[in-house]
Amino acid sequence: MNYSQPLELTGIISTLDTFFRNNLTPFWATFIEGALILIAILAAYAIIALALIYIERKITAFFQSRLGPNRLGKYGVIQSIADMVKILIKEIIQINDVDKFLFYAAPFFVIISSVLTFGAIPFGMGLQAVDFKIGIIYVIAASSLGVIGVLLAGWSSNNKYSMIGAMRSGAQFVSYELSAAFSLMTIVVLSGTMQLSEIVENQRYAWNLFNGHIPAMIAFVIYLISGHAETNRGPFDLPEAEGELTAGYHTEYSGLQFGFFYLAEYLNMFIIAAVATTVFLGGWMPIQIKGLDAFNQVMWYIPSYVWFFAKTGVLIFLSLWVRWSFPRMRIDLLLNLEWKYLLPINLVNILLMVLMVLAGWTLSDWFPGLFAIAP
Amino acid sequence: MLKFHFIRKIFFILLDTNNFKITQNIPPSGFRGADINNMNPFIKYISGIFTAVKSLLGGMLVTWRELWRKKVTMQYPENRDTLVISDRWRSELTMPHDENNEHACTACGICMINCPNGTINVISKTIETEDGKKKKILDKHIWDYGMCTFCNLCVITCPSDAIIFNNDFEGAMFDRSKLVHQLNKPGSKLREKKPLTPKGEQKAP
Amino acid sequence: MAQQIIFYILALAIAVFSILAVTSKRVIRSATYLLFVLLATAGLFLLLNYHYLFAVQVTVYAGGIMVLFIMSIFLTHKPGDQFITRMSWKVRSSAFLAVAGLVLCGYIIVKNVTRVYSYINGNELQMQDLGTTMMGTEKYQYLLPFEVISVLLLACIIGAILIARKEKSPMNPPQGDMD
Repeated sequence: MNYSQPLELTGIISTLDTFFRNNLTPFWATFIEGALILIAILAAYAIIALALIYIERKITAFFQSRLGPNRLGKYGVIQSIADMVKILIKEIIQINDVDKFLFYAAPFFVIISSVLTFGAIPFGMGLQAVDFKIGIIYVIAASSLGVIGVLLAGWSSNNKYSMIGAMRSGAQFVSYELSAAFSLMTIVVLSGTMQLSEIVENQRYAWNLFNGHIPAMIAFVIYLISGHAETNRGPFDLPEAEGELTAGYHTEYSGLQFGFFYLAEYLNMFIIAAVATTVFLGGWMPIQIKGLDAFNQVMWYIPSYVWFFAKTGVLIFLSLWVRWSFPRMRIDLLLNLEWKYLLPINLVNILLMVLMVLAGWTLSDWFPGLFAIAP
Repeated sequence: MLKFHFIRKIFFILLDTNNFKITQNIPPSGFRGADINNMNPFIKYISGIFTAVKSLLGGMLVTWRELWRKKVTMQYPENRDTLVISDRWRSELTMPHDENNEHACTACGICMINCPNGTINVISKTIETEDGKKKKILDKHIWDYGMCTFCNLCVITCPSDAIIFNNDFEGAMFDRSKLVHQLNKPGSKLREKKPLTPKGEQKAP
Repeated sequence: MAQQIIFYILALAIAVFSILAVTSKRVIRSATYLLFVLLATAGLFLLLNYHYLFAVQVTVYAGGIMVLFIMSIFLTHKPGDQFITRMSWKVRSSAFLAVAGLVLCGYIIVKNVTRVYSYINGNELQMQDLGTTMMGTEKYQYLLPFEVISVLLLACIIGAILIARKEKSPMNPPQGDMD
């Protein structure tokens, strides 16, 4: 069934592609397309970061019965642009007695890992830069690099607060990365592929969250918790606990260097929400019901990237809600939660999912007429 | 040391719930409805998860209500009309003038003497009245906003209640010299004393 | 052409950072240079279209092992500590071993280079093939080694827990938390 999709960007993209392929040698066509994609990703990265900073400040304010930024522009919408300009023109302070090379390399680790992960996210139909067969492992791999930047930043700052923050961050990240990876693997078992675009395609009629009902929901919750912990936010923000560690691992950074950490933190929040959307909530796929073509057509009129950002936005809101609801955890409780609760539950859960898939207890097995993709 | 040991012992008695019935009456925090002490550890683990989820959701419900609550933030420059500043707020020293441009300051200088950091400078001049008497009247009552600590001593000690602190808090200036205020308006003069009469008669008309 | 340029860049990076990793005076810098070497190796895998190997290289070595290295350096070294190489015979013997290893590996590689080319056909590896190879019981399938390794790792983990665990005597309740 082909539905009319008037607002999709696939037409523009394929037009551009054929234009370059027809007019240039294959090498230069690939080169220019790669450069364009790079520019598009970096631009999207910056714009999403700015939007997220504004949204977070606003929602945070509402949770705390405040109004948030409301002076600069209507409802304060250009506040974060002003903040960006401020950070860009700030002095980068040279610090004596630090390991200069590591000190200046550390923010790049963080931001590069964040951008690499960002590139693999399918934002919409045809809007995915990196689509490996092993998409999910790639996401895990790329995001695991960020913690090295944090550790190096803490070490090279030559400051005990930074050091403690980095140690905490390392322990926390290594622990929670396990849970995040395992909960994603649960869905790999369910959908039978690791390619993010295929995972999205498989969720045409039933989101993985509902298709795999109980184990998928457990995996979803665990992924959200551990993803939240990986980004050092919310009740898990020990590495930058202001009351005890000033700003944790980025205490000594200023200007653009600090901006990198700041940007990466917000984008990691987005990336966690986006991966959860893609893997559990059907990604950019509109809500469709098998058989109701008129309804499906209406749903397809809404472009896929709008669906993606709407779903991601809900998850980001959830993350903010959690962040402003709970007090900061102690480090031993934090590690207890991971090693004594999330990880064992996760292992049992993955076994449960395997049994369920083998026994054919998924929704698409039970109701193939409603949820299965193949007729 | 002994005391410390004793406290610790009590603490362990309280913790060791299998031997003492005393804690059975205290509802275990975070878990209600079942006897947590005599439970299988596995069931305890599982039920712990559910109670944790329940209490976390309760916390999230609180913040959810907070999200939709009406915000009471005062937005200052826009709400000048409705802004309520407490009466006791001391911001700017003023000398009230009545409709005849008359004030009550006799230039006695008590406020100047009582000011702890020399904020007030009362400049008086001597004039000759019609009946030939020499009289000291107020020439300039100078008050420095930038130096004032708003201690209110000048107002309290003023014998003729000539000065008060008002509520007008927007005193920020771009120039320091503008912070020096002259309190008496130009051309103003001392209010004539009412003839000494009993209080009741004054109010009668 | 482009592939060759990228290969030379990566190879140069591997060579330079390997040398820097062993000559650096500061141990944390050595770890960082080693990380760069591992990342460049991952880049080589990516160049060969071995996406799975690339991702595993980055996750396991760069993301996992290096984090553990750096954490253990944090726990055992003070910032600013520098290595002082004292025993020159150690340096000489390890240099000799390194050269010997290079000769051996080089000989094997040069001997087998044509065969390696036949393996690398540039196609992306299917995850299903990899999974069945790892979990199958037929010829050229590796379920038994896989399971044996997992049992070995489990034994290591249990052993580590046994070593690290504090003895808890039943008579005295743990009193460390009370003070």
